[in-house]
Amino acid sequence: MATSDLPTVTDETFPKRTNKTYALVELMHGEGPMVGKGPDGTVFSFPVVLLIEIILVLGVTLAVFLFSLLKQAPLEAIANPLVTIDPAKAPWYFVGLQELLEHMHPTLAGVLIPTALITFLVLLPYIDRSRANVGIWFSTPRGKRIVLWTAVYSMIAMSAYILLDNAFSLREILRYIVPEWIAQGLVPAAIIALIVAIPAFILWRRKASTRELMIALFTIMLFSALVFTLSGFFLRGPGFKMYLPWQMPNGYNPLDGL
Amino acid sequence: MSVQTRSRWAPLTESRVWRSFFRHGMPDNPLDRSLVMTSNIFLHLHPVKVNRRSLKWSYSFGLGVISAILFGVLIFTGVLLMFYYVPSVERAYPALLDIQLSIPLGQFTRNMHRWSAHLMVLAVILHMVRVFYTGAYKFPREFNWLVGIGLLLLTLGASFTGYLLPWDQLSYWAITVGTSIAGYVPLVGATAKSLLLGGPEVGQDALIRFYTLHVAVLPLLMMLAVSIHIWRVRKDGGLAINDSGVTTEDKPADAAQPGEPSA
Ligand code: HEM
Repeated sequence: MATSDLPTVTDETFPKRTNKTYALVELMHGEGPMVGKGPDGTVFSFPVVLLIEIILVLGVTLAVFLFSLLKQAPLEAIANPLVTIDPAKAPWYFVGLQELLEHMHPTLAGVLIPTALITFLVLLPYIDRSRANVGIWFSTPRGKRIVLWTAVYSMIAMSAYILLDNAFSLREILRYIVPEWIAQGLVPAAIIALIVAIPAFILWRRKASTRELMIALFTIMLFSALVFTLSGFFLRGPGFKMYLPWQMPNGYNPLDGL
Repeated sequence: MSVQTRSRWAPLTESRVWRSFFRHGMPDNPLDRSLVMTSNIFLHLHPVKVNRRSLKWSYSFGLGVISAILFGVLIFTGVLLMFYYVPSVERAYPALLDIQLSIPLGQFTRNMHRWSAHLMVLAVILHMVRVFYTGAYKFPREFNWLVGIGLLLLTLGASFTGYLLPWDQLSYWAITVGTSIAGYVPLVGATAKSLLLGGPEVGQDALIRFYTLHVAVLPLLMMLAVSIHIWRVRKDGGLAINDSGVTTEDKPADAAQPGEPSA
């Protein structure tokens, strides 16, 4: 294919100055794909994007490379089904789930809550059908404030829940009074639901948009997961009991389990 | 109409050997810069042109690309480890000792594999968080959001199945704790757990299942999903930041006839 005698495409399609005058023939309703996107600020992917990607490849590889020179991957004694290790922890990305299991019935913590969270993520784009402010961080300044408040709120609320439930558990008091599914299922589920519902209710009263509601829910989910993960990872020692990270017995160091 | 002068690379790029490899000339002009992207199987996942805005670092923080790069590092180091690893209860742990103690760069390769794996889980989560907060899951990117959730689950699955392979106390008990959660699922829990473990507890059957999932099933599914995912980013009109400012009023997705996302 000959590359010569090619017009410079952009000049042809979007002449900067032209002597031609146009007549208005008819008004059309609807959007064309390029309407409002005019002489666009695009660049050829070759070579800019590829160069950025190469730099990222080198940067990421170098980072992992250097870290791997400094820190060895752990390897403990050969697996022995007869000797339990204490504490036995799930990998860090599941340790939040393990922490959750300490506070409620396993079906609630291990099944219902994870299923609810994934369902929330799956349905999200179909619940929030607004199209305003796509591609903008937090959508609006108000969205950003909602993130800030709900983040702080959920970190405090969930930390309090973990510590309180650990110190004097309502579930233990109820243990012999009501059936297990109430004490271990309904009660903690109601508490968690209440923690989530309070900010959602406040936003609803303040006529928040669906997007803003979703921002609140997602932020609560994210920061609750963070709190549970940090607690499970750093505060749980032998017997999965709670200790201050610098007071772990038996020289247990959570970081050894990475 | 500006006329292109003959490229100084022409003697090379018009040779029969070059032409048998590439269907384009040196990419120093608009036409060849387009052809280089569309005629190369690896590059064609990219659009020919991108909006300058989508290159803005503070928009995406490159987290999707970083996830993909870490996936690449994991494949490379993982294949190296496969040359020595044996998925057997008797031989897995000794193989790990071999890798660490006597195989050149074995420990280092294992380190790279493990730290990239942790980092990839983190990068994928952060990528999802950025996609959420930038509202990039909305029309027309709903499908890609779903592909993304699939990728998140696959990433967690790949990481989790890899965790068992060293067959040391850490991996054995972590997987025992992890899979016991599956047992709590009402009705199907016990079945799901024994399907995953191949028996009532973590043993040889579990090891071979985790190994097969870890080195074949999950990586293949991930390659497929990542390809769809990145191709779909292009088909959905590039990153969502390109759309910002285009639709300002709040209208439901199916109200106005949307402009076909261009790629
Ligand atoms: C293995 C995991 C993944 C890989 C390799 C990956 C890769 C990518 C890449 C390369 C991009 C282009 C923009 C960027 O770099 O940020 C992208 C965009 C996107 N990803 Fe992912 N991704 C992964 C997981 C996910 C997850 C978990 C989600 C959400 C649940 C997701 C949803 C999206 C969406 C909606 C876009 C379009 C963003 C926009 O238009 O601004 N991806 N992904």
